[in-house]
Amino acid sequence: MQKKRVLITDLRTREAQEALRYLNANGYAAFTVPENLRLWREKELESWAETLDSDLYAVIHPAPPLFLSPLEEQTEEFFQKAADEGILSAFCVTKVFAGLFRQLGEGVLIYLNSIHAEKPVGRGSLFSMGCGAVQMLAREVNQDYGTHGVRSFFIQRGISETDPDGRSDISNLYYGVNMRYPERKIPAPDALNGLLAFLLSPAAAPLSGSDLRADGGMTMYYGERITKEQLEEIRRQMLLDNRKEVTILGEE
Amino acid sequence: MAKNEERVALVTGSGKGVGAGIVRVLCREGLRCVVHCNSNRTLAEKTLEEIRNAGGEAILLQADVSDPVQAASLVTQTVEQWGRLDLLVNNAAMQYNRFIDQYDVELLRKLWNINIGGYWRMIRAALPYLRRSPQPRIVNIASVHAKRPTCFDAGYAMTKGAIRMFTRELALELGKEGIPVNAIDLGGTRIEFKTGNPPFLSYRPAETRNPHMNGKVRLVMPEEVGELVMYLAGEAASAMTGSCIRLDGGQMLT
Repeated sequence: MQKKRVLITDLRTREAQEALRYLNANGYAAFTVPENLRLWREKELESWAETLDSDLYAVIHPAPPLFLSPLEEQTEEFFQKAADEGILSAFCVTKVFAGLFRQLGEGVLIYLNSIHAEKPVGRGSLFSMGCGAVQMLAREVNQDYGTHGVRSFFIQRGISETDPDGRSDISNLYYGVNMRYPERKIPAPDALNGLLAFLLSPAAAPLSGSDLRADGGMTMYYGERITKEQLEEIRRQMLLDNRKEVTILGEE
Repeated sequence: MAKNEERVALVTGSGKGVGAGIVRVLCREGLRCVVHCNSNRTLAEKTLEEIRNAGGEAILLQADVSDPVQAASLVTQTVEQWGRLDLLVNNAAMQYNRFIDQYDVELLRKLWNINIGGYWRMIRAALPYLRRSPQPRIVNIASVHAKRPTCFDAGYAMTKGAIRMFTRELALELGKEGIPVNAIDLGGTRIEFKTGNPPFLSYRPAETRNPHMNGKVRLVMPEEVGELVMYLAGEAASAMTGSCIRLDGGQMLT
């Protein structure tokens, strides 16, 4: 039986690379775009898509790697580049391939995006704007193409061990990331492979149009629950280590 | 706390529609306002006249906020006129009413440059002056379509989703400087006309309509948006930042 073909549009993140490997090892034929193809050039993408066989089953569109950029350091050129890589790429991929799936009467679009569609990074306005925009695009796909057999999903993935460092002076989010996960470790880049495989399956049809927060609970983290004795021990250790004091929420 | 009469507000896209409602309320409360327009100067002049006839203080400035030079000039002209800027309300936006396959990438880029780029440019240009204000505020007019899809304009929804995240990011980034940044997720509003007409007819199967609901959709009035902006501009809202407040008369709940 011929393997279902899955296009992964951008392999710059480890999650996307791992997804490619996993899908190829598990019954799919996964591939990516040519290196010189720019996703935001609609006509080029369209021409390339026409060269594909008509058996394309799904497209996974990852968000670009995280970048920080303080508002006042951004330039017009940088603003346009961020638009190219964020929203315009997602739009062109959607228009070209959702259009193709509509003709085929079936297809899956998965936006492998980020918690930054909901949660700010801190100094990451251009990145987060793109995430928020693509989140809405995913919902619109469900409206425009859902009746033509196209399923769409938007994944808000958490921070993984190979993501760029998102620490800034105005947000706690990227500090102690490993401690924010219940398992006390940052998920490996292949952690979402099982979810992707599920979403590609017909069993996921009832979830079409959904936002899936797949962050292992990290954005729900509010701090450690400790006793006063444990707190004193932490303080004692910090003094021994000559480290700065930390804020303990809820301490009287 | 700054007195309203001392404060200066710049509201983009305020020659008509929602923006006009906002400046009418702000001027009624004593703020000095810039009525800003890009293409429809005639309606903006009418808005300005109404404000002045009611005893308000306002000037009219014309600029294309998708142009970096004109956006910066809009801010500097405001400050040249009154010497300060306390409140920036980003409202100017376009809506093309197209499905995904009716957009092309250049039209989407154009929309992005107005609906997001305009907000981005205005905030960057206004920041040096807002920092000098005793009570600075930024309000971004977004839409219920920052969360709920439109089914009639994918590009518009993308820009509104972006504004939601832009607002949250800036609330963090400018929070340490004491500049609250909030958004209003606006629902259907009664205005003169929209910036574009749909190239398609909207059809809902009869069985999806509740006959008892006919005529019961509560549209928001532009002045009601102004009242919320006035609250956000006030001292009472100084702890509110990064919020996206839905103002839709309950439309999203039906």
